[in-house]
Formats: sequence, structure tokens, C-alpha cells
Amino acid sequence: MAVVEFQGSSFEVDEDGFLQKFEDWTPLWVDFVKESEGIKEISEDHQKVIDFLQDYYKKNGIAPMVRILSKVTGFKLKQIYELFPSGPGKGACKMAGLPKPTGCV
Amino acid sequence: MAFISSGYNPSKPMEGRISDIGPRHFSEFLPPVIAKNFGKWEYHEILEPGVLCHTAESGDKAYTVRCGSARLVSVSYVRELCDIADKFCGGHLRFTTRNNVEFILDDKQAALDLKAYLNSQKFEGGSYKFPVGGTGAGVTNIVHTQGWVHCHTPATDASGTVKVTMDAVFDQFQDMKLPAPVRISMACCLNMCGAVHCSDIAILGVHRKPPLIDHEYLDNLCEIPLAVAACPTGAVRPTKVELEGKTYKTVAIKEERCMFCGNCYTMCPSLPLSDGEGDGIAIMVGGKISNRITKPSFSKVVVPFVPNEPPRWPTMTKVIKKILEVYAEEANKYERLGDWANRIGWERFFEKCELEFSAHLIDDFRDPAYYTWRQTTQFKW
Repeated sequence: MAVVEFQGSSFEVDEDGFLQKFEDWTPLWVDFVKESEGIKEISEDHQKVIDFLQDYYKKNGIAPMVRILSKVTGFKLKQIYELFPSGPGKGACKMAGLPKPTGCV
Repeated sequence: MAFISSGYNPSKPMEGRISDIGPRHFSEFLPPVIAKNFGKWEYHEILEPGVLCHTAESGDKAYTVRCGSARLVSVSYVRELCDIADKFCGGHLRFTTRNNVEFILDDKQAALDLKAYLNSQKFEGGSYKFPVGGTGAGVTNIVHTQGWVHCHTPATDASGTVKVTMDAVFDQFQDMKLPAPVRISMACCLNMCGAVHCSDIAILGVHRKPPLIDHEYLDNLCEIPLAVAACPTGAVRPTKVELEGKTYKTVAIKEERCMFCGNCYTMCPSLPLSDGEGDGIAIMVGGKISNRITKPSFSKVVVPFVPNEPPRWPTMTKVIKKILEVYAEEANKYERLGDWANRIGWERFFEKCELEFSAHLIDDFRDPAYYTWRQTTQFKW
């Protein structure tokens, strides 16, 4: 597995750039990933989505379904795409340090 | 090769981005004779294997020459198709829903010339590049999947098994002598991408061993509740294990409940199950999707396992050939393979095709299994 270095921290990632371990997540990770996900500045809205994904994952052991993400954060799917151009899976979940989405994606 | 930009600017990814434009409208690509007579066709006939003729109300005729393709093809192959289309068909061609290629012309002699030309084209190894056929009551192309070429859950290969099967039944592709069309399909795992569940003959990749569990990484790579919910038989449950003094959250699999579907691996990369000797092929028969005479039906498993034998899969092709031969000989005209088996009774089907009937073939999945058993005294010795 590849290890990436960013501002003195190192993160273990897979070939798609997802964190290998949720525990390795730090706010620095978001700064590191944002550019590759087409995000200039992390706004409050970005943070709200990331925080919710992490809370939900800690509580339930899975990433929330898109409708749950929308309902709880109040962001419609369109707004989520505006915040995270790669979408809730590839964009938001990756930044939140959640495991890579699986299944027939 | 050095990097060559398409004009996309990675530092401004959303700038100049075009999205949601959908596919091109099909009408941009219609041959003139099709565009002119769109929605005004009177009747059609099959002139000879691989050549169709449609006659329009206006009297116009469109001749279609259908040829087989490997589905998995290179750009140079597509360019060759384009060259042929340029030369014979004013640059038009189409692909069918079974991945054959069709050239449409408005002249009969030109169509027959094209057929002869296509049949003369060969690869260096000797296989036909564009064998003409696939019409009427024959065997047309095999709908298939990715296999070892690209997928990560296969139990067998797609392109390989399809090539050997088409080699074995090639005469039927170029001819129309069967009682009814026979659709053969192939899927490399029981996700059944494509049409195996509704084909006259189906080739299906199956596993025979439960997944290995990569305890150390499982919780990091997987959403455990998804792996648990992926199991159709409830064989997966969450648990904790201790390895070298460390506790890991992971899953446990009740092996006697596992039927090796591989769904949990689809959801969780830490549960791989493919196995050289364990994996192989199940053969199903008797499905169809058309409404003609009888209702559409699912295909049924008749051979629970034949081993993977790359590169030619001789056991598998032998079984398929045998089923096809017996069907061709015994069935009535217009009778699809499943209609024939239902008419003569499945015990007769097994007898005539010389297939072994084993306990694996008896449905045991939940309540509906009951309806597949025989609740009548009507049977033949």
C-alpha cells in the first residue's frame, strides 16, 4: 500500500486515494485531499457533511444512504455535488476517511 | 508516452465542463433508406442465413447483412468495420442487442457481394473476422460478461468460454436448421450480468468454497453491516477476534450455511473466495424472454458443476453440444428448448441428454423451493 506524506504527516492510502484506516484521519487529511477532489476552500457546509458522515459511520459502521445524508444535512443531492464535484461517495466519503464504497459502482 | 492535454484544466476542474448531454440521437446515424421509411415497414423475409430484407410501403427494400463479432474488440477492428461500411454502405452500420454487427444496403446484389466479402475476411490465426449469420432458427451470438479480462468477482472466464462454445456451435450460427432460435448466454459469476437467467442455454461461473476472512484488515476496508446484510442465507455475522494480542472487529461465516455466492466479497474486499480448483461452471437451460406461445421463463440448472479447463473448456462444450444436438433432433418446429423440456418432462430431458441428476439440482432456497418439487403422481419411469 502506498503511503503519502503531507505537511509532516503520513497517510496510508489505496490506489484510489482512500484512507486505509479510519483512525488515521486528521483534519490535515481533508486539506490534502481537497485539491484532487476539485475543492478550493473547505467551507462550513463541507465541514457539516464531513462531520455527519463521520458521526454516522462511528455510530452505525456504514456510510449513510444518500437520502439520509440529504435529509439530515438539509443539502439536496445537487448541492452535495456542488460542494463535492465527485459526489458523496468518491468525494465526501473519501475526505471523511470512510472506507471506499463497494458493490457494483 | 509523454502527457498530452486534451484542454482540461486540472486546477479549474469545473471550468468549461459539459455534462448531462446524453447520447447522440439515433436519427443522426440512420442510413438514408431507413430514415426515409422509418415507421413504414410492410414485411420482412430472411433471404439466406445472415441476410434480411425489409420491404417498405413505398416499395423500398433494405437488405441487412448480419455478422458475428467477439464483442471485446480493438479499435483497429472497429476501424475495419468502418472501412467496410464506407465501402459498401455509405458509412453506416449498427450493432445488435446480441453484439452482432449489421450492415444495411439498398441493393440485393450488393448485399450478397458483401456477405461473400465478409466471409472471406480472416484473422492471422485463421478465425473468421466477420462470419455472416445469426438470423432465424439458429444459434446467434452469446451475450457474455467480463471474466478474467476485467472483473474482480468472476468464477470463470467470459471471452474464453464464449469463443470455445461458438467454435463448437459455429455451424448453427451460419445456418437456420434448429426448431427455434437458441440463445446461449454466459455470466462469470451469479450476479448474472446479462441474460443467463432467461436463455435457452446458459453458462454460469460458480464457486464451491466459502470466503477467506482477512480479519486484520476487514474493519478498515469494509462496512461490516453491509457484508452481513449481503448474505442471502444469513451465514455472516459480526464478531471480534484476537490476533497477536490485538482485538479486531470482523465477521464470522457459518460455513455450513454458506453457498458460495460471493455477494459478501462484492461488498467487502476482505472476503475473497475465488479458487482455482473450487471454481467452475454451472449449466442452465430452458429460459426465454419472448411471449411467443408460452410465457417468458427462467432457465433451470441442469449441470451443477463442470470444472474450469482453460483454454478450451472441453467438458463444458461437450455438454452444450450434446444438449443442442438432442434438442435439434427431438423438438417440434417453433419449440424453444424450455418448451420442449416442459412438454416431454424434465426426467425425459435428463435421460435424452444423458445428464446426471444430482441433489444439487433440487431447489432448497426458502419457501418457493417447495413449488419446484413434484406434487403429482404424473411422471414417467
